[in-house]
Amino acid sequence: MSAEPLQALANVGKGESTRTLLRVVILFLIAGAAVASRLFSVIRFESIIHEFDPWFNFRATKYLVANGFYSFWDWFDDRTWHPLGRVTGGTLYPGLMVTSGAIYHALRALTIPVDIRNICVLLAPAFSGLTAYATYLLTNEMTPSPSAGLLAAVFMGIAPGYISRSVAGSYDNEAISIFLLVFTFYLWIKALKLGSMLWGALCALFYGYMVASWGGYAFITCLLPLHSFVLICMGRYSTRLYVAYTTWYALGTLASMQIPFVGFLPVKTSEHMPALGIFGFLQLLAFLDYVRSAIPGRQFQTFLWLFAGGTFGIGLAGLVIATSAGVIAPWGGRFYSLWDTSYAKIHIPIIASVSEHQPTAWPAFFFDLNMLIWLFPAGVYLCFQQLADEHVFIVVYALFGSYFAGVMVRLMLTLTPVVCVAAAIAVSNVFDAYLIVKSPSTEDRQVEDVSEAVAKKAKSGLKSTSKPVVGVYSLISKGAVVSAMTVYLLLFVLHCTWVTSNAYSSPSVVLASKLADGSQHIIDDYREAYQWLRQNTKDDAKIMSWWDYGYQIGGMADRPTLVDNNTWNNTHIATVGKAMSSKEEVSYPIMRQHEVDYVLVVFGGLLGYSGDDINKFLWMVRIAEGIWPEEVNERAFFTPRGEYRVDAEASQVMKDSLMYKMSYYNYNNLFPPGQAQDRVRGARLPEVGPTLDVLDEAFTSENWIIRIYKVKDLDNVGRDHAAASAFERGLKKKKVMKKRGPRVLRVD
Amino acid sequence: MKTSAVLSAVLSFLSLATPGSAKSSSRVTLPSTFTPPQVFKNANLVHIISVEKNYVKENINVAIENIDKAPQDEYFLPFTADQISRLGGFEVKDRKDASAGPFAVDVVEFDLESDTQYVRIRLPTPLKSGAQQTIGISYYFLKAYKPLPASIKQEEIQFLAYSFSAYLPSAYTSTKQKTEVKFPSATIPDYTKLPGSGDIKEFPVKQGSKLTYGPFAEKPAGAIEPVQVRFEFNKPVSHVSRLERDIEVSHWGGNVAFEERYTLYHRGANLSSLFNRVKWQQSQYYQPLSHALKEIKFPLRVGSADPYYTDVIGNVSTSRFRSNKREALLEIKPRYPLFGGWKYPFTIGWNSDAKNFLRRLSGGGYVLNVPFLEGPKQPEGFEYEQVEVRVILPEGAENVKYSTSIPSSSIKEAGVEVHKTFLDTIGRTTLVIKARNLVDDLRERELVVTYDYPLLASIRKPLIVFGSMVALFVGTWLLGTIDLKFATAK
Repeated sequence: MSAEPLQALANVGKGESTRTLLRVVILFLIAGAAVASRLFSVIRFESIIHEFDPWFNFRATKYLVANGFYSFWDWFDDRTWHPLGRVTGGTLYPGLMVTSGAIYHALRALTIPVDIRNICVLLAPAFSGLTAYATYLLTNEMTPSPSAGLLAAVFMGIAPGYISRSVAGSYDNEAISIFLLVFTFYLWIKALKLGSMLWGALCALFYGYMVASWGGYAFITCLLPLHSFVLICMGRYSTRLYVAYTTWYALGTLASMQIPFVGFLPVKTSEHMPALGIFGFLQLLAFLDYVRSAIPGRQFQTFLWLFAGGTFGIGLAGLVIATSAGVIAPWGGRFYSLWDTSYAKIHIPIIASVSEHQPTAWPAFFFDLNMLIWLFPAGVYLCFQQLADEHVFIVVYALFGSYFAGVMVRLMLTLTPVVCVAAAIAVSNVFDAYLIVKSPSTEDRQVEDVSEAVAKKAKSGLKSTSKPVVGVYSLISKGAVVSAMTVYLLLFVLHCTWVTSNAYSSPSVVLASKLADGSQHIIDDYREAYQWLRQNTKDDAKIMSWWDYGYQIGGMADRPTLVDNNTWNNTHIATVGKAMSSKEEVSYPIMRQHEVDYVLVVFGGLLGYSGDDINKFLWMVRIAEGIWPEEVNERAFFTPRGEYRVDAEASQVMKDSLMYKMSYYNYNNLFPPGQAQDRVRGARLPEVGPTLDVLDEAFTSENWIIRIYKVKDLDNVGRDHAAASAFERGLKKKKVMKKRGPRVLRVD
Repeated sequence: MKTSAVLSAVLSFLSLATPGSAKSSSRVTLPSTFTPPQVFKNANLVHIISVEKNYVKENINVAIENIDKAPQDEYFLPFTADQISRLGGFEVKDRKDASAGPFAVDVVEFDLESDTQYVRIRLPTPLKSGAQQTIGISYYFLKAYKPLPASIKQEEIQFLAYSFSAYLPSAYTSTKQKTEVKFPSATIPDYTKLPGSGDIKEFPVKQGSKLTYGPFAEKPAGAIEPVQVRFEFNKPVSHVSRLERDIEVSHWGGNVAFEERYTLYHRGANLSSLFNRVKWQQSQYYQPLSHALKEIKFPLRVGSADPYYTDVIGNVSTSRFRSNKREALLEIKPRYPLFGGWKYPFTIGWNSDAKNFLRRLSGGGYVLNVPFLEGPKQPEGFEYEQVEVRVILPEGAENVKYSTSIPSSSIKEAGVEVHKTFLDTIGRTTLVIKARNLVDDLRERELVVTYDYPLLASIRKPLIVFGSMVALFVGTWLLGTIDLKFATAK
């Protein structure tokens, strides 16, 4: 009697519609968890745009919302890269801004007045929910197991490798493009499996959206042809592949060429050539397929060799000629750095100076993926076992993704989806085997054996092709494995939460510190200084700073800048680097020529804030040296013993540089004489601080993180600034002299 | 008790203005050749100028005498065109009879080119021939001072200069008058000296922090004697060029939400050399008084909750809110100390329980009683050039009437608009009142709004949300039943 309610309870999960409902509920919960785990920074700080690049995206979104789509498309921004300006509308990926703009207008139409900033801040978490769903769909294509998809969705939702680029406030292109990446892959698999033109077209559509959103679209552009190529090499050419690939390539390329920034790149640059090559190759194969069905086998052999060899030769020659003639652009610097990790350091310091372009350290894999990284090979192995077309995709993606993730830190992002999918396949495989409470009884086995024997006889196949019946009998081993996996999963959640909370949830615009009583103290120097610039300088005052702060100044201070994070003009950046690293007499003409009104430097010496300009200074020197090797010399900034110092031992060139002077000007007055201390570099500074002739201190923030200097106008009586300020100092000295009593003639 | 007070206030004020015809301070237009008829004489006049705060408060207590044969009720007070644009809070009361209430006051418009403009005071009862009445006139001048020297060093002391006339510029003959000037401190390094009369050799007479010019003998109409005083004022000269104050009433939430957007300037002496953080940090220890604005305190109504303080680039963390049964004090610090010539716009807001402000009238309808102005309370004062108060009533509220104890001459215009926000269909009824030249002395003055809010309007939104959700589900279901597949041949 008592078994009946239990039975009824057990039967609840068995109906088809109940299962669907459960799945929907679980997926919603996963999306909720994905969103919630990204909100640390909003709860701890506020709804604020993070870091550097997002500030530009935010500013562009505000421009789009205020001025409409067409003026956004034609936007020429004269408030950056002064005096050059930037054709912003044609040099950005508009997908992100248009998405936010569309959401904004949709909400307005429903009369829900949401601030555009809140949309921008919460866009990445919202899309992470969608990414989890897309991963669910992609995994479901790989395995019949019902749990794999849900596990993959959970992994994707909370894996730190993805959270690092999608916390609330990190309003960057990656925020939406990881969703687009995974969804495009799902549509590709679907199109390939069904050989469907409709799915192929949908795949092209989302590919187009992806191209509109992120430069990382090249990953898809290379991965899909590679997958096709591997399939062809495995002898798996089919009309399904032909239909899916040609539909995607033709429509997708057309879609991508609609973006002004991409334009004709898909037919001009080397990165896009594999896709074009495979497209041509597939046409040949289709043609050969047709020929083979039309002519007899022997003739076909000779025809094949001649035809294939000829086409390959012509194609290769054409490519070489086109590249050398400059029709096809040679590989870009960022591309070379993907193969040789030390390439950028030698040839393009500006790429190497960005921390996220550094090669990945091994612990980073465990940090960002935790247990997924050791489940990943197991999942890939399981794919090898089945090895249908879609499993080949996972294998290819895994290889490709792992390599690139090892080369550049930021490409960990593209690896994460495949790791989640593979790991979910592995975990679900384990659970599917061990979570069945009922042990296979011997009778069942006999029955199975009998039925199998019958089937065997009927098929009379090889013994190895039939799977042996395996089952886990002991409840203890089931319990042990299941509980171990559960503990791992729980630890994984713990690790993800910890990493997200500690490593990826700081806005970096606002710093937090703990007071002695444990309460949180906000250090808000950046915004203090930016707000001061915004309110108390004239509207078109040009600000010179290192390029890292360009986007923030544009977004928060709303003032024109010389250089910013869109590092399109290396010479202009080198000019700023030269002005920062040269003597005042050299820098002043540069600043006058560029109409600089204020110079902004970041100084962490008082607070011990290590991300300041003195620590970045060597990159400025290197980049300037790349353009003016005679005038700027990196070696001269080191002491004779090769140390990088800022104290009294520092080299004279270092002490004379504008950056050094601006950082430490007036700093020693804050301390008792001789006690001035730089807390970042742990150095005791010389008792007499540097003097500035061509600049005036205009503003210093509360904790001295931001220091702003005003460029002096030309002297009223035509002296140079050094003479003028020496004169002023001289006057004071004379007064001191007078106190010493009457002069005495010196008698020899 | 309180309800009845509110009710009586409502009844007494409702006649004052309705938003439809709400030009209560309408300008009176007179022919361009107008001069005030010489029907009055100022028998005794005391002019008190207070420069203690960063605006000027002037009080004129005058005994007026009708020297015409007929009873008269129109008294004119002249100002220059520049003064008129900075004049605010103009109120006239009977000194002998406090219950008489404020007199009607109009700015007379007769010749836009003329530098002399008049304010017309209408006595409630015409003054009989030869009779005397003592009236008290009080008003404020904004943007009254100029710093002298105009730019000083960060650690120096700020001095302000104020120019005025030692005799009150009057449209009538004054028999006897004197002018008193009250200062924030006794440090008054410069002031114009005038020859004395009677036993006093020289004007002004200095008594602590007070200067007295006069008493003067009879002066004809329009007589002036320009004088200037320069005094120490080592406090910020805060000036709000625009204040937007939103009061949003929610019946469903039982909440009244306030939001105020300030455009704040410091009108004091500019820095002669640029801002120096070292000096600023050092002066925090040994010389905490400064002409820079460091902190603003908002004493809010008790029961205010969830305050926020932001500016255009986000939340500002330097604020404190102390709330208990006796007070709700919001203390905010600008991101940077505000020196002369600097600007700092910011936004603050808070919530409050609706029952603190909202009452239901017995006749149906509601009455809302909120402070017209709830700005900061600073020892040095706070002045507002443009004020726009928006009372956002619930969707469907109608028959809106308002009254306020702010001097009616300060209110420029008022009207009812529609404001669309969260899931509104017809938009919320919004009462918009624009006022100018207010000061923090007037921050206790109240604004009373009455309106009707029918039941149908209150359930409109739930019905619409419910209806649209149902429509959405039905639509989805209908779409789902459509078979888009090609029939497969079997």
